[in-house]
Amino acid sequence: MKKLLAILLAALMLLSVVGCAEKKDPTEANAPAKPQGKVFNIYAWNEEFKGFFEKYYTVPEGVTVNWIINPSDNGVYQQKLDEALKGQANAKDDDKIDMFLAEADYIGKYVDSAYTMDVTSFGFKNASTMYDYTIKAASDSKGVCKGVSFQCCPAAVIYRKSIAKDVLGTDDPAEVQAAMDSWEKFDALAAKAKEKGYYMTASFAETFRAFSNNCTKPWVDANNNLQFDPQITAWMDQTENYIKNGYTLTAGVWDTEKTNQMFKDGKTMCFFGPAWYYNFCMNNAMDAEKGCVGDWRIVKGPQAYFWGGTWLLAATGSDNTEMLKDIFETFTVNEDVCTKLVQNENQYPNNTKIVEKFAKDSSYGNTAILDGQNDIAVFAELAKDIKWENHTNYDQLLNEGLQNKLQEFYNGSVSKDVAMKNFYNYVKEVYANINVPQN
Amino acid sequence: MERKIRRKDGSLRSVSYAKWGYIFIVPFFLAYLIFTLVPQFLTVYNSFFENYQDGLNQVGPNYVGLDNYKTLFTPDSAGTVRIVKYVANTMIMWFAGAVPQFVIALLLAIFFTSYRLNIKGQGFFKTVIYMPNLIMAAAFSMLFFTLFSRVGPIQALLVKNGWIDASFDFFSHRITVRGMIATMNFLMWFGNTTIVLMAGIMGIDQALFESATLDGANAWQVFFRVTMPLLMPIFVYCLITAMIGGIQMFDVPQVLTKGNGAPDETTRTLVMYLNNYLTNKNYGMAGAISVIIFIVTGALGGVVYKMLVKQYKEPQRQHRRRKGDVL
Repeated sequence: MKKLLAILLAALMLLSVVGCAEKKDPTEANAPAKPQGKVFNIYAWNEEFKGFFEKYYTVPEGVTVNWIINPSDNGVYQQKLDEALKGQANAKDDDKIDMFLAEADYIGKYVDSAYTMDVTSFGFKNASTMYDYTIKAASDSKGVCKGVSFQCCPAAVIYRKSIAKDVLGTDDPAEVQAAMDSWEKFDALAAKAKEKGYYMTASFAETFRAFSNNCTKPWVDANNNLQFDPQITAWMDQTENYIKNGYTLTAGVWDTEKTNQMFKDGKTMCFFGPAWYYNFCMNNAMDAEKGCVGDWRIVKGPQAYFWGGTWLLAATGSDNTEMLKDIFETFTVNEDVCTKLVQNENQYPNNTKIVEKFAKDSSYGNTAILDGQNDIAVFAELAKDIKWENHTNYDQLLNEGLQNKLQEFYNGSVSKDVAMKNFYNYVKEVYANINVPQN
Repeated sequence: MERKIRRKDGSLRSVSYAKWGYIFIVPFFLAYLIFTLVPQFLTVYNSFFENYQDGLNQVGPNYVGLDNYKTLFTPDSAGTVRIVKYVANTMIMWFAGAVPQFVIALLLAIFFTSYRLNIKGQGFFKTVIYMPNLIMAAAFSMLFFTLFSRVGPIQALLVKNGWIDASFDFFSHRITVRGMIATMNFLMWFGNTTIVLMAGIMGIDQALFESATLDGANAWQVFFRVTMPLLMPIFVYCLITAMIGGIQMFDVPQVLTKGNGAPDETTRTLVMYLNNYLTNKNYGMAGAISVIIFIVTGALGGVVYKMLVKQYKEPQRQHRRRKGDVL
């Protein structure tokens, strides 16, 4: 009896496999003339995009997708990726990188190299619905586009409703925004929050991106000299003041001490982040037991800025160009997927048509965390102003290094001079070609 | 080794077994040559070149003579030669971990091998003390990081008992961070040392201990006059290998301080310094640091060997002299 059952089950399984294969057949009729590879290799630094990819992209039959994930900290991801790209020419077709992810802080390094290829070479066309800055970031100095971004990252201030009510007497977004629409007002509000026993921000580096992504000059000048933009020094001054007055904590942006402040019993009013911040950093706020879903609202804050973003770049030598085109289209122009990215994942997709639809839709609201506030409308307004300028290939380690070294000053273990000296030494170690001030 | 074997007809045939010895050690020497010796020379060679990457572009290699070494030894504005500071950091943290490591290991080794104590369940204890060594250093370090972090259980416990202030941060004080690193190194390695030292002690003729006891020597005398001198070769071996490992200390402080060597680079070791240069494949500077590490290791190894082996040979000479006296 058991045997019979087993045979029956096996037969059913086989049948279903055959059935599926048959259904797929018609699509393969217009398969490309160029033979396509069977292995698709993707380099990434975390699982964020992998999650969306597995949910919303149907991998063609017979193709295996390999994810090679290395952490971004201390430049590890870039090191591993560089090594693989250098071996790309001599690698077997199935071992070649087909696509890799890059962040705003270093995308230029890859875009301006022969290791990425023109998206038009495999028939992808940038759509008019894509945000200009995302195209500019993925284009080399001659304007050749090498990849796409699946998200647009205007960033804002996400505040605790209950704390705002206690500090300001109101939790209405328009009124809260009016109380913090400049850095002076923001600082004044921080003092007020302190009086009531709250922190304004939970990390010394929380406001860093709001300043650094508004820089008017790049980290290094034409002669490779390290330079400090007034925005960076403004951040340093603000933070020094905030630490001194106890408006913020000495924790880093990604530290547990900071994210613990997002629990219901947290004492912090403001967090700075774009749409990816919800899923990536605010899990504590969404915790069923200790979290405080719905106690959050979003406003523009003192200064419009953007933060991060993940670009998908086409690696030269890929033998899966059809699939590349397909993936790029799925995550930028496919309206169904972009809609789901908003509805199910609380993302802000790189598709103006979809975001405008949501921004105007009064019935839409973010229920995951904002208790139904239309965050897309806030982001859409901010996204219009994002410009791609003053970026260098060195940004990641310089931003990281500055924060790490200054953290020691902020937590009181060294003087500011020593912290800066350590930063210059660090720069010299990781980038031998950058000239640092004499020290 | 050569042997004469008599053939059936009575003539002598010489058989050499020596060649088998050579054949058996060939694989090791080949592997050593290819994977250790040649890279060692290449490292020295590389240290005379400017050779790194700017983004994805290769800079160099350009011959720069001793420039990389000059950079390493140029003092900064505060007058600190950074590499000297890192050598000192490395040695201090190693020493702080190695002292308890050897004391405890010696003590345990003597307890376990003592015929008088005759400790039961030795297999269990040996396994337990060796256990920390089986954990990956990085994981162990991560564990400590989590335990002692500002939101970790240790902080919470100590604050609750009122022993430390709530604002206390284990990671912003030199003494606590160095202490944690030394403790981890100690915990990870004392079991290993115990087992090697036990092997050494068990290699000593038990009759010597017995006769010393019969002659009225107390435990201290047995230890200093019998055990230690005879254990010295193994002890020196342990000490020098531990020191070489200590100079190459990397993963524990790297993970614990997220590569920063905080506070103020006081927990930054030589290899962490080297590692930063490898971010953009700066083989020139990294090579120069490697050469310095090689020299430091060689020098310290030599000093320790000379000092301790002298002590170990001295009693032997005395012993021989005394024998001569009797005759």
